[in-house]
This record gives sequence, C-alpha cells and structure tokens, in this order.
Amino acid sequence: MSKIEEVKAKVEIGKTKLIPGLVQEALDEGSSAADILQAMVDSMSVVGEKFSSGEIFVPEMLIAAKAMAKGVDVLRPLLAGDTSASLGTCIIGTVAGDLHDIGKNLVSMMIESAGFTMVDLGVDVPAERFVEAAKENENVTLIACSGLLTTTMPALKEAVQTIKASGLDVKVIVGGAPVTPEYAAEIGADGFAPDAGSAAVKAKELVA
Amino acid sequence: MLTKRQNLIETMKGGNPDRFVNQYEFMNLIMEAPLGEMVGPGQTIKNGWGITFSWPADQLGGFPVHDDEHKVLKDITDWKNQVKAPAVATSDEAWAAAIAHANSVDRNEEYVTAFVAPGIFEMTHHLMSMEDALMALYEEPEDMHDLIDYLVEYELAYAKELINRIHPDCIFHHDDWGSQRSSFVSPEMFEEFFLPAYKKIYGFYKENGVELIVHHSDSYGVNLVPFMIEMGIDIWQGVMTTNNIPELIEKYGKQITFMGGIDSGVVDFPNWTPEIVAEYTEKACQEGGKLYFIPNLTQGLNFSSFPGVYEETSKVIDRLSKEMF
Repeated sequence: MSKIEEVKAKVEIGKTKLIPGLVQEALDEGSSAADILQAMVDSMSVVGEKFSSGEIFVPEMLIAAKAMAKGVDVLRPLLAGDTSASLGTCIIGTVAGDLHDIGKNLVSMMIESAGFTMVDLGVDVPAERFVEAAKENENVTLIACSGLLTTTMPALKEAVQTIKASGLDVKVIVGGAPVTPEYAAEIGADGFAPDAGSAAVKAKELVA
Repeated sequence: MLTKRQNLIETMKGGNPDRFVNQYEFMNLIMEAPLGEMVGPGQTIKNGWGITFSWPADQLGGFPVHDDEHKVLKDITDWKNQVKAPAVATSDEAWAAAIAHANSVDRNEEYVTAFVAPGIFEMTHHLMSMEDALMALYEEPEDMHDLIDYLVEYELAYAKELINRIHPDCIFHHDDWGSQRSSFVSPEMFEEFFLPAYKKIYGFYKENGVELIVHHSDSYGVNLVPFMIEMGIDIWQGVMTTNNIPELIEKYGKQITFMGGIDSGVVDFPNWTPEIVAEYTEKACQEGGKLYFIPNLTQGLNFSSFPGVYEETSKVIDRLSKEMF
C-alpha cells in the first residue's frame, strides 16, 4: 500500500495520532499536497456515507474528522495560496434563540472535510450576523444554518430570508431535527440535509 | 375496574388490561427530592458539578454551555482533578417535602416514583461537551471507564439516600442515548461502557425494593433494546415512531414495555390543534395495540411544552380506551 493510500485508510478509521506522520511520509514519497488532501476528502465521503446508512455512529465520524484535521495541519503551509482544492468558505451557525450545537458542530466538521474553509459563528446567531460574516470573509460560497427546536423554526426562516434579501451570491443550506425538505423549500433555502454526512455531499453539490 | 397500578401490570405482562395505560398516570412523581439545581426558563445557572446551563426565555429547554470558559472537564486524562461530585443531600430538612409527598400516595393505585436525571451518558457530555465525550470513548477509554465508575458511585450514593427516605416503587430515569434516527454510539461501544454502569445502578434499585424501572430516551434505540432488557429496564419511555414500535412489541414485548409512539415534535408545537393530537394519538394506539404498549408523548415528563397538548392527548386516549376495549 502506498503512503497516500495508507493516509486514506487511516483517516477513515480515525487514527489521529498516526496521520501527521503518514501525511509527511506521503509527501516524502513524492505525492503532492493537493493529492493527499483529495485522498482525505475521499475518505470523509466514505465516512459520511457509512454514517448516513447507519454503518457507523457519531464517535467514528468525529475521530475521522479529527484525523483529517491533523493531516490538514501538516499540509496547510504547502497549500497556502492554492485555492484549487478549496470549495470556498462556508459560514455556519445555529439560528437565534437556539443553543444546541452538537449537530451543527458535526456538520461543520463534515463540510470542512469536504473541502470548505469554515467560519463557525457558534449558537444563537441573529439573522443579520450571517450576512455580516459573509461580507467580512473572502470567497464565501455557502451559508449553513441549523435549528434544533420547533420554536426556532421562525428564526431559521428569518435567517434564510435575510441572507437571500441581502443580494449575496451564496447558497444557503439548512438542517436540524424539526427541519424537513418541504420546510427548507418553503423558506427559500437552496439545500437541506438530514444528517452530517449528507450535508457534506449537498454542500459540494450546491457550490459545484 | 382495575386500579392504575393493576392495569399497568396487566398491560406489561400481556394479561387483560381494561383500558390503555394513559401516559404517566401510574407514576406519582416525587419531584421534591433534592436532585440538585435544575435550570428553568430564562435562567442561566451553575449546578453542583460546576456545569453551566442556559435556558433562553420562550424556548423549550435548557442546555449545558460548552465554550472553553464554561467546560468543567477540559482534559479527560486529568478528570480526577477537574471533576468533583457535589455532596448528596442527607439532611432531614432537605428530604422532608419528598417524604411527605411519598407518604401521601396510595401505593395500591399509583407507584411512588423517584425522578433521576441526568443519566450517566448525559453526565459525560454535560461535563465536557458531546464531541469531547464521544471522542474520548475512542481515544482515552481507560479514563472514560474510570470517570463512568465515578459517576456510577455518585448515583449509587444518591440512590441509597433516596431509597432510605422515600422507598420508591418506581424509578423514572433519564438518559438520552440517541437522535431520532440513530443511537449516539454503536451497540458495541454501548455494551462496553454503559451496559455495566446501568446494570449496577438498576440492579441496586431493584435489590432495594424498586419494582419498576422506567427509562427515558426520546430517540431511536432499536439496536440497544437487548441491553435495555439486560440492565433491567421494564418500560422504555420516549420511544419514537422511528423505531418501528409494532415490530419492537412483536419481538421484545414479553420482556419490556414501550411507552411513547406520539412524537412530541409533531403534536406539541405553538399551532397545535386537537385534530392533530387526535390523528397521531389514534395512529399510535392502533399500531401499538393493547399489550406491552403505553401511548404517550415522547416528552420526558408528564406535561407538554405548549399548554393543553398533554391534557388533550390524555382525553383522546380515554376516548380510544372506550372504543377499543
């Protein structure tokens, strides 16, 4: 097995401690930083699919995402200025009135693993803050809004409509326990995902 | 007509109930027991473990705050220095109201029920955040085992006091083990970390006169049901429709009873109507049937988030009892 294949395999099973060394060995072997990054993105797609199908659970997804982040740390200096591997910046946050961040954090890790640069606004984010953040950061292609509570569904609607009314050229993806594809369409979101694995796939689709 | 207690037993053993068990009717919850500080609407509090909870006004519940400043446990390998259990209340004064309430209950009719929350799994993530807790199960399993043992010892100390003071017939114990679609951890990981913990806890309650263990997890949990049975749960409360309840009843009904089937999210919201409540309650009763099933909102206590939903659900269940029994 080549080192790049080993990186791919070990990210998938979340071997966080081994990944930095393996990434370095893959570089030493002659693989490019972009190719190694792509191998890790591919691993995370597999992880997302396995999560969506119920084959693996949240801890497995978390440690895989952490393993990839360790690998990206090694690659970052080599990738600086190379935008070819990036899908742009994604602003993410839980909408106003909602403090739940477990799903949002997981989605953030998975979208990052798909190749986005993440700007996490945290929880209880007012609608206007999504717009401000999109203006403050470069190359924002996607805004991801989540809501867990039925009572914050109106805040989700307000967030999407405020972003859309701002005239920004970004796609908006929404999710969270009470959100349905029908509700996402009704409030004008560009995309919906029922879980973190699907969110990464949908995020890539939206900005392609 | 059977008493509430007799009717429950008939339902659980596959006998001859004369009506549906109507939601929480059999549990007389002794909420006065000193369980520790709980956050209320519009409040931010720090509890005895040092965990900060915030509940924004007009929202549905409180949630632990896990930014760097507020996390209690920042490094699982140093948990012994960072996690300090609060003292269990042992004074007569602290228990007086709970004892008075328990003594007022007709135990032939209802179960004197102690409420215990959060559970062991929830405590791990309340202390350090869900992400840290779940990753620690992989990365530092020995420390997680030790931390869980520590949490179990604390609960057993509380359980001892609880049993001595109010002699509960029933324990209503919370620990959410999944999302709507999946358990949080794999069955293998659950078996390794949480099954032994709960065998100790529920075993202790049962050895000390508790007849009934009701466990709340308003989530998916089909893959954990064999463990629920093994650890001594009599009733899984909060079972959501994503679990295929009729199939669960068919497979496990003789060993465990399922309480829920009316997902709170679809009936308990600001614009609820009696028609919506009737639709989902009727579906639950028709699919769940008369044995090994208790129709109930999946909410983890005997009320609803929006006024009237719980009572309306009870009314529909009463009507269906007359029609179906």
